[in-house]
Amino acid sequence: MNHEELSDLYELYTQGVLEEPERAEIEQHLGNACPECEAGVKGALRLNALLATLPETVEPPRRLRQRVLASVGVEPAMSRIWRNAWAVAAVALAMVLIVVAMSNQRRGRELADADRQLAQTRLDVQRSSAEVRQVRSALALLNLPNTREIVFGAGAAPEPPRGRIFVNRQQGVLLMASNLPPAPEGKIYELWLIPKGGNPVPSGLFQSDLQGNALFVRSGEVDANTAAVAVSVEPEAGSTAPTTKPLIVAAVSD
Amino acid sequence: MLLFVLTAKIAEDDPELVRRLKNREPQAMADLYDRYGRLTYALIFRVVRNGSVAEDLVQETFLRVWNRVHGFDAERGSFGPWILTVARNRAIDYLRSVDGRTKQTPFELEKMEEPSQYAHIERDILNMDRARILREAFVKLSPNQRIVIELAYYEGLSQTEMAERMRQPLGTVKTWVRTALKALREHLGEQAALA
Repeated sequence: MNHEELSDLYELYTQGVLEEPERAEIEQHLGNACPECEAGVKGALRLNALLATLPETVEPPRRLRQRVLASVGVEPAMSRIWRNAWAVAAVALAMVLIVVAMSNQRRGRELADADRQLAQTRLDVQRSSAEVRQVRSALALLNLPNTREIVFGAGAAPEPPRGRIFVNRQQGVLLMASNLPPAPEGKIYELWLIPKGGNPVPSGLFQSDLQGNALFVRSGEVDANTAAVAVSVEPEAGSTAPTTKPLIVAAVSD
Repeated sequence: MLLFVLTAKIAEDDPELVRRLKNREPQAMADLYDRYGRLTYALIFRVVRNGSVAEDLVQETFLRVWNRVHGFDAERGSFGPWILTVARNRAIDYLRSVDGRTKQTPFELEKMEEPSQYAHIERDILNMDRARILREAFVKLSPNQRIVIELAYYEGLSQTEMAERMRQPLGTVKTWVRTALKALREHLGEQAALA
């Protein structure tokens, strides 16, 4: 194909929907650093970006912001009131520090320590807030009458992950695990919902704590065809299909 | 009604935001979400049509951006298009997995998620004017042209899959796709030349 013919295909290529043999042909051109094709791909990415602005406004739920921040290990934003309160507290503390530091260096060091402790406490409070929300979601799911409980890992050896999975077809899946050491650097745990006769569906990423405990809620409807829940170690950005043998597999029965 | 666009000033702030993300500043992630969260959610929701699933996929999108931002060139890259590609691909991956289409369309969506692909794209590509121009061009397309553009971008269907879905000959579908994309490109190009 010449470049005029290829120029009709760059958008489909960048959207991942171009079929063979055209796809391979563009790949070959790009592999040879073809300037026309490189420019065509850039142009297609521009158009794709603008296509993304076409959907109508749909406001995301407020909780999503906190969920996103918590998922990357960043504390959720505190409310304005709390932020202001902390700001006032920080300013007050700074003033005290200045006065005391001028009169007593030793005393100043102690207060500096206190300042660090205060900062640490603040982080702990924020972290706890995220955990409280997670626990609330978990409790909500546990309290539903049609939530099913699956025990995994009991009796296996040596020391496998153990715990329970709760499945509510309407509300989601709750995973509570122990003996699950934090995934290695650059890795993360990924939850999979496996439909009967189908491919595992990626259903969220999570990390366990230093004590090997994990609590993860995947909210939303669970496909009626789901036959099992599994967890595997994946690259930190997650995978579209499991790349390692699952550590946890639990059959879901109706 | 247009959902959201970035003003040129906000887009110009993106390099600073990228630097702060690379430094793992907690507030940077909050700013990133505040800047792109609504657009990302609306795009993903348009694809998957399910609020709970959209929330999961938005979370995955921002997690992926957070994990890969170190590879993004803050000075040369266009941040918004990259984030939207990551978001759209998460949603298409989901659709393909639930439809069992993974094997039929084994294309590497991830290739277009390489941050280097977004070098030398205008930082303010998502501005109000361009979004409006594209919308104008889109509504001028014929119904079938609009459908094929939507099936490709919002459902991740190949031209063969579109032909099956629409029960039309493949050649007809290809013509609709080609003429639709040409019209969109030309309209954007003409308006840019007039500006």
